[in-house]
Amino acid sequence: MAELLLDSNIRVWVFLPIVLITFLIGILRHYVTILLSSEKKSELRQVSDSHALIRSRILRENGKYIPKQSFLVRKSFFNNEDKGFFKVEKRESQAKNPMTDPSMMTDMMKGNVTNVLPMIIIGGWINWAFSGFLTTKVPFPLTFRFKPMLQRGVELITLDASWVSSASWYFLNVFGLRSMYTLILGQDNAADQTRAMQDQMSGSAMMAPPDPMKAFKAEWEALEVATHDWALEGVEEELTGGIIQPETIYLRSKN
Amino acid sequence: MATIAVRTRKSRKSDGIAFSEMSLRQNASVLEYCRTSISALSGATAGIMGLTGLWGFIFYFITAAMLSVLLLLKAGSRWNTFFVTRTVLFSNGLLGGLFTYVLFWTFLYGMVHVY
Repeated sequence: MAELLLDSNIRVWVFLPIVLITFLIGILRHYVTILLSSEKKSELRQVSDSHALIRSRILRENGKYIPKQSFLVRKSFFNNEDKGFFKVEKRESQAKNPMTDPSMMTDMMKGNVTNVLPMIIIGGWINWAFSGFLTTKVPFPLTFRFKPMLQRGVELITLDASWVSSASWYFLNVFGLRSMYTLILGQDNAADQTRAMQDQMSGSAMMAPPDPMKAFKAEWEALEVATHDWALEGVEEELTGGIIQPETIYLRSKN
Repeated sequence: MATIAVRTRKSRKSDGIAFSEMSLRQNASVLEYCRTSISALSGATAGIMGLTGLWGFIFYFITAAMLSVLLLLKAGSRWNTFFVTRTVLFSNGLLGGLFTYVLFWTFLYGMVHVY
């Protein structure tokens, strides 16, 4: 393997600047996203709906710790045939068309402006300003498959695959610095888009379901089949070690 | 013939482990924080030392295992209080840390040894 000697000016004027630019752009994007993000306004009705759903879910999960009567009262508040909350409340579907809603449009615009545009512009600029340099060499051997990935902009067939061109060095930085942003900017930073997606999936309490009627129906069904399984039976005796309950005694002859 | 009353415990189905979702997430993020720091530091070390090829990857897994052992020592016998399973101490973020490691390794190897 022929060793190449790189000009050390490349290190100062190409190699380091790309790392710095990528890193600082990520931080800048974080703060720009914070600056542009608009507070999501939620209506009072939506918030009360989602909290009713949460209350019902809690009742299903932890209802065994309250007396049966209390459980039934709460269940009937939600599920009563005539007066139950899930039966009486009628909501129109609020699934909006994102194209007709101007606020959704601006949100999408902002997302594009802060995420996609910098990628294109900075990537293009780095390709233009630093094109054609070999910047570094990865310290492990690679197969020829990696040549188009690592040597973008330098088409030399005989060159060893572990040399990295400037454009590819930029992309390596973009992907590799992601976890560094977590370290520096905190857990839920805007420089890292994948994490934002995960947060949406897990769902926060304030997020209103798109169609309340459907959610009510599902929750009604789930609560309808939930039964009261009293978990604290005989807990006083267990605490005091006192009275033995009749049905738990059996007689054993000792001889 | 004497009879004694034996109290039988009513068989109750176990409730499972009660845990706090928030704390679990917090612990996981602290774990990931440790992982990333160790990956970056060990990557820088490997780059400066000029490890190449397989040795670099072995070095990463050695440092990762060291971190796991240190975490285990830190958690001690009370690891049950913090995590549901103990394997999470070893496996969490192992591959994600590898990316950070390779970046730092390449970066400092390039800085020190290539030019």
